[in-house]
Amino acid sequence: MLDQFLSTIADLARDSGVAGFFAEGGWKNIVMILISFLFMYLAIAKGFEPLLLLPISFGMLLTNLPGADMYHSEFWVYQTVGDNDHYIDYGNILQHGGLLDILYMGVKLQIYPPLIFLGIGAMTDFGPLIANPKSFLLGAAAQGGIFFTFLGAALLGMSAAECGSIAIIGGADGPTSIYVSSKLLSNSDSIGVGTIALAAYTYMALVPIIQPPIMRALTTKKERSIVMGQLRPVSKVEKLIFPILVTVVIALMIPSAAPLVGMLMMGNLLKESGVCDRIAKTAQNELMNIITIFLGTTVGATTTAKTIMTLSFAKVIVLGVIAFSIGTACGILLGKLMCVLTHGKVNPLIGSAGVSAVPMAARVSQKVGQEEVPTNYLLMHAMGPNVAGVIGSAVAAGVLLSIVAH
Amino acid sequence: MFYNTAQLLSNKLSGHDYTGTDIASVVITGMSVVFLGLILLVLFVSIYGGAFKRRNEKKKAKQEAEKQAALADKPTVLEKAKPAPQSAPAVEDGIDDEVVAVIAAAIAAMGAKSGKKLVLKSVKRSVSQRDPWAAAGLVDNTRPF
Repeated sequence: MLDQFLSTIADLARDSGVAGFFAEGGWKNIVMILISFLFMYLAIAKGFEPLLLLPISFGMLLTNLPGADMYHSEFWVYQTVGDNDHYIDYGNILQHGGLLDILYMGVKLQIYPPLIFLGIGAMTDFGPLIANPKSFLLGAAAQGGIFFTFLGAALLGMSAAECGSIAIIGGADGPTSIYVSSKLLSNSDSIGVGTIALAAYTYMALVPIIQPPIMRALTTKKERSIVMGQLRPVSKVEKLIFPILVTVVIALMIPSAAPLVGMLMMGNLLKESGVCDRIAKTAQNELMNIITIFLGTTVGATTTAKTIMTLSFAKVIVLGVIAFSIGTACGILLGKLMCVLTHGKVNPLIGSAGVSAVPMAARVSQKVGQEEVPTNYLLMHAMGPNVAGVIGSAVAAGVLLSIVAH
Repeated sequence: MFYNTAQLLSNKLSGHDYTGTDIASVVITGMSVVFLGLILLVLFVSIYGGAFKRRNEKKKAKQEAEKQAALADKPTVLEKAKPAPQSAPAVEDGIDDEVVAVIAAAIAAMGAKSGKKLVLKSVKRSVSQRDPWAAAGLVDNTRPF
């Protein structure tokens, strides 16, 4: 009787998560759990993109608890059939997967990011961009960070898929980064979607710290003091034509950007039409919140100890900040060029808002501008490049997806 | 370089199997495609934005001109536009004049919003026994259906 009792207790202890910490490599899980605590602290106490970092960090905690079996990275290995064809065995996942495996299917099948874009579209006012279409160019220039980082990652000897996934961090757009990396990366790559998402959202939260020094270094006091006039009012019909036009032009030109741009513009049309208030509100609030929970938690769950505690993660962190900085610099430099061409009518500071990160990047332009002239309101001028950056990074994502094999 | 780019686009980059030229062409192609796409949008948006701007300016100018004209022959207009005496609304017995005034004001406010001039013809007690607050709640809850 006593023997049986003791052996049952011993079995329980062996199966418990605590035993998992002492198993081989178990210390890595402890480190990861501590890292998840750090991200929770940053999200709660420091307000770093809490809506995403908090679910991500909790997903990180869940996945690194030994024996909880909520997420299985081994299920997501590509099976090869025939010569080149590779696929994921979704039937197996549905049958044996844990909660987070099932939810992660939405990431792997690229369902969540376009739905997030639907919500973003329903919240975005493209008015400033329509009033000043030249802002599109600033949104394009800031994507330079993506392609130059691609170059940097290639120099470090990473695979093509890894180069593309790291580079997209420079677009400063979380859903786009997840979209591209989940499509490109497979198990043979040394980094995962979670790593990319973590780096992207951390840097987006750090926009107000990373951007201003670059902005000040590249502009003169005189340029920063340029006061821009008021934008012209935009009529409703113009706002209605815009999403349809952008969808048709971009989807025909770069079909692989269609899911992101198409959903973004559909959300915007729902909002601007004024006749679908109920749907627009759902897209902005309930749908977006639900998807954010699924996306954050599952992306966090992919950050298992064996994917994060590698040299590649360090490379992602370093290249990510470089991508961000180059993007900011490219935007500012084109802003300077536009300033010269318009004989000083454009304040180059609005160029840095071309990296998406809506609306934080635009607020940074406003803040840096106001340091020179307190009555200068650059916010609406910076919103143009800012929303153009969202379209620009979706286009850049489409280009990467069509160039790099997955 | 152009040939390289075209070849790259048809043979997709994969694994570590790429050369420096491949990467350079990714950077160049990538930037040019992004710029090309967005320049196209700049053109389209500028064209239709310009058209709308001109139309709005024309409209504004026309309105301005009409306003000026109206101001010029104001005295004659004033005499002509003397409001026709309106019949007082037929008010049911037992309804306060104040209540009628409030209803008329509310209707006038609604009319002003849509640019119409509305006239209050009669005020009657509603036959419905439902409390107005309950009725408002019901309308609110069933609006989408």
